[in-house]
Amino acid sequence: MPVILEVINLTKTYDNDVHAVKGISFSVNRGEVFGILGPNGAGKTTTLEMIEGLRSITSGDVILDGIKTTDQPYLIKQRIGIQLQSSAFFQNLKLTELLEMFADLYGSTINPLELLADVGLKDKAHFLVKKLSGGQKQRFSIATTLVNRPVMVFLDEPTTGLDPQARRNLWDLITQIKSRGTTVIITTHYMEEAKFLCDRVAIMDDGKIVALDSPDQLIRQLLSRGFKPHTEVPPATLDDVFIDLTGKTLRD
Amino acid sequence: MYYRNKGAIVFSLLIPIALLSIFGFLSKGRGTSIQIGLTNHASGEVSKQFIEKLKSVKAFNIREITEEEAAAELGKGNIDLQVIVPENFGTMESDKPLASSIQTRFNSAKPQSGQIANLAIVEIVSNLDRQLTHSPSVLEVKSEGVSTNNLGYFDFILPGILSMTIMQLGIFGVAFSFVAMKASGALRRIQATPVHPVYFVFAQAFVRLLVTLANAFILIAVGTYFFGFHMVGSYFSFAMVCIVGILIFLGIGFAIAGWAKDETQVAPVANLIQLPMLLLSGIFFPRDGFPSWLKSITDYFPLTYVSHSLRKIANEGVSLVDLPVDFIGMGVWLVVVYVFAVRVFKWE
Repeated sequence: MPVILEVINLTKTYDNDVHAVKGISFSVNRGEVFGILGPNGAGKTTTLEMIEGLRSITSGDVILDGIKTTDQPYLIKQRIGIQLQSSAFFQNLKLTELLEMFADLYGSTINPLELLADVGLKDKAHFLVKKLSGGQKQRFSIATTLVNRPVMVFLDEPTTGLDPQARRNLWDLITQIKSRGTTVIITTHYMEEAKFLCDRVAIMDDGKIVALDSPDQLIRQLLSRGFKPHTEVPPATLDDVFIDLTGKTLRD
Repeated sequence: MYYRNKGAIVFSLLIPIALLSIFGFLSKGRGTSIQIGLTNHASGEVSKQFIEKLKSVKAFNIREITEEEAAAELGKGNIDLQVIVPENFGTMESDKPLASSIQTRFNSAKPQSGQIANLAIVEIVSNLDRQLTHSPSVLEVKSEGVSTNNLGYFDFILPGILSMTIMQLGIFGVAFSFVAMKASGALRRIQATPVHPVYFVFAQAFVRLLVTLANAFILIAVGTYFFGFHMVGSYFSFAMVCIVGILIFLGIGFAIAGWAKDETQVAPVANLIQLPMLLLSGIFFPRDGFPSWLKSITDYFPLTYVSHSLRKIANEGVSLVDLPVDFIGMGVWLVVVYVFAVRVFKWE
């Protein structure tokens, strides 16, 4: 598969001598969902923001869609969609107006209602963002990253703080984005989410990548090292029980 | 966006209009009439003529009261001049007028109004005197009322309140709303788009400029139609100074918002900058009474340049080219403020 993103020896060192990212390298294939996992403070968000051009790079290179990002940061931003960990939008603007504003910022034209329908918010078109629930806000936030028909979408912990229904709903949305050929990079704390969504995952800890492979391969490697789970793993999880009892429909 | 925030719109207009109204009514109420307490002991034709003449003076407000009342009122400062007409005023004795004198008393602590009134009374009396003694008048003063610009305190205060509004909308309006975008993360979301931040700031500044100009227009309209504001100079020059002033204060607002992390940092800094200007730039009262060191410091305040040039245009009809000092001052501030704003700007 052709590579769309190549990260080479990416390093971030802050003024106060904090080494947030310590020379990581990886590449992302076109059309895949690539997960970055890791505990808080591992450097996931810093890595994403350096790739996106929102944070300065101490050393190393990022090549996205054949372009070195530090050379043409505005061209890169034109081609990607960025969802920030905590996205805020202007108050007093309706969803459709916000989408049109974002489309204008990219110089693209969109049908806001169609885009809202894609993320399941068509009936909220004339709402203000502050009237949306957590899950709706995240879906809207993802809609704003799609206004420029990006080649690659960056999602920073999109499901953190959502209830299981809203999370699974978001999984469907991400799968749908992938099915259109858009490459997705996602960070998450939820392993079952990574397993469900990601073709490959990089596990980060303390600013370094400690493992990078497909979820199945990583599990197989662990087992081959003689790993025994502490308890018998049942074929269903408590998550499945919750969904079974409360249904898949969204509660917003 | 701003248009939907109805509360902000109403309040940004309410305060300057309330201030305008207060000063407007104050300057209407405080008439220039001189209060006179009159006690007439005489009953003759001449005394009647005297009182008639006195009452025909428009600047006088005459109350006929007893000597004791008048003395008490004078003591309280409620009347400016006490006038006592003696019993024998203007009476004849065997066809010859008797000598008699009108007594006037005024408050020596604030002699202006009393002395002016006194002069008018002396004039009236000497006219009557000439009539009675049939002596010809050789010297006289001819005067007529001409219509002047008739500038009052309100005409002084309106450009001041307008400058204040421009300053507050610029500094507070921008600083708070911009830093709120920053604190909430909305600004960072804009940073994630390919729009260069300079364009975004320009767009914000442009909208604010229009909003502030609209505010200025409403204030002038209210001042003109309700309180008789006189614009001696050209509205174009006035608007030009307004625009330059708005740009300066918007720059100060952006500098504060660019530097600050959140709202709690904005309030003290914005107040620290705007309060001294509000009090010391001569917008409510002239700076002539300041000690010279204070006056020379406040000479350099941006609000001083703005309010001074607005006042010169509105009150004296001065044209833009006759205000080089103000324009150089404003130009320097414009550059300083924006260079500073770019230097201290932080995205988060």
